[in-house]
Amino acid sequence: MADYKRAKWAAWADHVRGQDDPAKNFEKPEALDDLVVIDISSRSLAGCYCSSLLAELGAETIRIEPPGGDLVRTYSPNGIMVKDTGLAYLQEGRNKHHVTLNMETDEGREMFKCFIGAADVLIETYPAGKMDAWGLGYEELSKINPRLIMCSITGFGQFGPESGRQQYDYDNVSQARSAVQYGTGEVLPEGKTVKDMPWAVPTKAGPHIAWAVSGTFGAMGILSALYHRDSSGEGQAIDICTPEAYGRLHDYQLMWYAHAGVTAERFGSLDTALWLYGFYPTKDGGVFLGGLRLEMWKAFVDIIGKYDEWKAEEWTTLAPFMKKDWQLKYQAMINPETSKYTSEELTAKSVEYAKSGRLAPITPVVAEIVSPWKAMHDENWQDRGIFAPVQDPVYGSVICAQAQWKSTETPPRTKWACRPVGYDNGHIYLYYFGYGPVKLKELQEKGII
Amino acid sequence: MTVFKNYAETKNKKPGPLSGLRVLEVCTLLFGPAGPSFLAGLGAEVIKIELPPAGDVTRSLNPFGWFYKEQGPMFMHINPDKYYLALDLHIDMAQQIFKDLCAKSDVVEFNLRPAVTNRWNIGYEDIKKVNPGIIYLEKNGFGQWGRYAEEDRPSNDGAAQALSGYAWMSSFGGQPPLKQSIWICDVYGAMMGEVAVMAALHHRKRTGKGQYIEMSQSENIMRAMGWVWPYQQVTQTHAEPSGNRDQCICPADTFLCKDGLFAALAAPAPDEFKGLCAAMGKPELAGEARFKEHTERLKTENALAILKIIADWAVTKTADEIEKLGVKHGFAATRLHTAKDECEDPHRRDRGAVKEIDDPMYGKYMDHEIPINMSKTPPKHRWTVRPVGFDNDYIMSKILGRSQQQIAELYGHGVLGKWKDQQGRRPPSDWDGQSGAILRR
Repeated sequence: MADYKRAKWAAWADHVRGQDDPAKNFEKPEALDDLVVIDISSRSLAGCYCSSLLAELGAETIRIEPPGGDLVRTYSPNGIMVKDTGLAYLQEGRNKHHVTLNMETDEGREMFKCFIGAADVLIETYPAGKMDAWGLGYEELSKINPRLIMCSITGFGQFGPESGRQQYDYDNVSQARSAVQYGTGEVLPEGKTVKDMPWAVPTKAGPHIAWAVSGTFGAMGILSALYHRDSSGEGQAIDICTPEAYGRLHDYQLMWYAHAGVTAERFGSLDTALWLYGFYPTKDGGVFLGGLRLEMWKAFVDIIGKYDEWKAEEWTTLAPFMKKDWQLKYQAMINPETSKYTSEELTAKSVEYAKSGRLAPITPVVAEIVSPWKAMHDENWQDRGIFAPVQDPVYGSVICAQAQWKSTETPPRTKWACRPVGYDNGHIYLYYFGYGPVKLKELQEKGII
Repeated sequence: MTVFKNYAETKNKKPGPLSGLRVLEVCTLLFGPAGPSFLAGLGAEVIKIELPPAGDVTRSLNPFGWFYKEQGPMFMHINPDKYYLALDLHIDMAQQIFKDLCAKSDVVEFNLRPAVTNRWNIGYEDIKKVNPGIIYLEKNGFGQWGRYAEEDRPSNDGAAQALSGYAWMSSFGGQPPLKQSIWICDVYGAMMGEVAVMAALHHRKRTGKGQYIEMSQSENIMRAMGWVWPYQQVTQTHAEPSGNRDQCICPADTFLCKDGLFAALAAPAPDEFKGLCAAMGKPELAGEARFKEHTERLKTENALAILKIIADWAVTKTADEIEKLGVKHGFAATRLHTAKDECEDPHRRDRGAVKEIDDPMYGKYMDHEIPINMSKTPPKHRWTVRPVGFDNDYIMSKILGRSQQQIAELYGHGVLGKWKDQQGRRPPSDWDGQSGAILRR
């Protein structure tokens, strides 16, 4: 990495790095390596994401797919496949053992019950009622293993008037139903139609975020249930409904509607509740500008040379800038000013202002809006170990973002990226059932694995 | 599932899963405080420590000038179910009190610039001495080391959306990157922080060892961006955004409907895709070579072709009709929901996902429940925020056994403080001077 000027507190940085550098992850113990997790999720990556988080922490995680593989294996832009696996699953197969089991057969379901005897955690994403219809609902499974923690992640939940809907859960549908998508997107100017500007519509986030959020809430539920189990000895059922889970991030907007009757409309890349806070154009792209205190906003106005002209000296409160019409007015005034600079120039100006500006050390947040390409090649993240590829025995070198956190004792880590369908049948069925090659061949011929 | 029968009505009779856990937070804005709130909902005792007398900046924030009883609604949403202590950590006596509290706590969380905790003599090494089992979490923009951290760059949600590539991936192709209307990197990061904390608790249970955890909000969201990274590695090209079209699943998109509303649908599995084609009155499409297999359908030109066919059909139906056809024909579909739906939807109400909070200080108001339903230990959102330093006396006497006289001295030294007479810091104007108080104030 290129040299940079060390901070005054560089000794602290070096001390922490000495303790939590991901380069040393494999020298450390794992937080969850006493647990067995079964992931039988179907069509939804929310369950796979959830089990990934546990697998990255050392849980022995067994992913059960139907013979032929789960549909999530095919999720990939432009249909790109690496061997038998799409790029979306190539991220979420990490550290898992992959076995096949035909749940449509009696024998398959009986074998599944044997897994449950050994499991701490079960993750599933079938529409509610499917597992019960198989005789594998929580009530049945908890008889086999009262310590079992069973986490269901679905589009409509396990109870409530809509829970009987037999539809599978998809990220884009969940984003739409969460109410978050409604208020996100470019504003359609008056007199224009969606036909004129097809991009000025409620817009979902690009990544599978409703799934990631739901899977992460699932992991929180599972880990807290384990904490409870440590003292009570009992497992339990957990129910995550994906639009509710992602909708929890809708913040004040529910209150705003309930108590003021306001439905927040799209506001482009400005923020209904914050100033200075938004995306602004530059000569070569755009930057995020942030300054939630009056002084930071004034500092920004100073940086673009408008301190006197806009009479920033006289501003005593941010309150008027919170109003919609002022936000739009100032946005229109700021746009041509930021457009005079490149993103890098503007970032540098903010850093310089912190040293020598009239309001120094106060300075606004200026962050270039980068492409994921630029992010992936950014030396800072590379130095922090975010994109260090996994050397997978089957799939070769694969970049699996190892980005969630760093720690001194039990950091998450990726050991392998994925496994082909049924790759671990031999090992897992031998270990858990004592089934050797002869028995496995028989099961295979009967279409059970 | 019968274990969830009467769930919402009976949840208060059961404990939370983290009962008995004590958490301290020294956090402000969103990324920091949002996490401990989840632990509070899960039953932990969470003590929010603010610098008196102004406290958390979020108390001032508001959408277009709207406050709820003078309080910032996002402060209420992000900080419920906590106890409020105001301790001036710049003062050495306060630092000692903080250490005394840490000695009796399980988790401590910060969102300060790198090295600040160290400067305040409450860094991990200091706290570890009084409590080797402590789980110590520091959250900020760029972590504790590396170029961006050492440049002391400030950060917030919008910066993380910009620097991670998240915003870039969330617009329509050919349009500028789009900022999310929610603070995704703040709250998602906060959630992940608690996964880290609870995993560390599991490790502590087995070994007695605590640990130090650091988290960067830009990095954290990259974990959730999935296929983007191997796509760039495998193709050696830039990942590009695609608006409402899910590039990994086909069909999966949002469509304009006859009534001017929008509906989202997804139908990648063979049964779902056949169902959708039948609903459109074009069952033959499901058999076409370019559409039959999901991997074939995902090829961009095929995907765009089928989505065009669906769009032309969707605009002849209302959004509700499309949702109903999804139920009938077995593919995923929904009318796009709004905050009104969120508030009034009988399903959410029945599940208690959206509920009325009966708060002693702020009265009744609507908020989200913790969206984790647990059959034996249901998480519960119970009360909302309090003024700066509102629970000082309670905490100082209950946890540290300080007498009224000792507490008075701490106020005298400015170690403990109370709210400033300012919007969001003081109690609401209709407060009776007593409700919500656990001990005198």
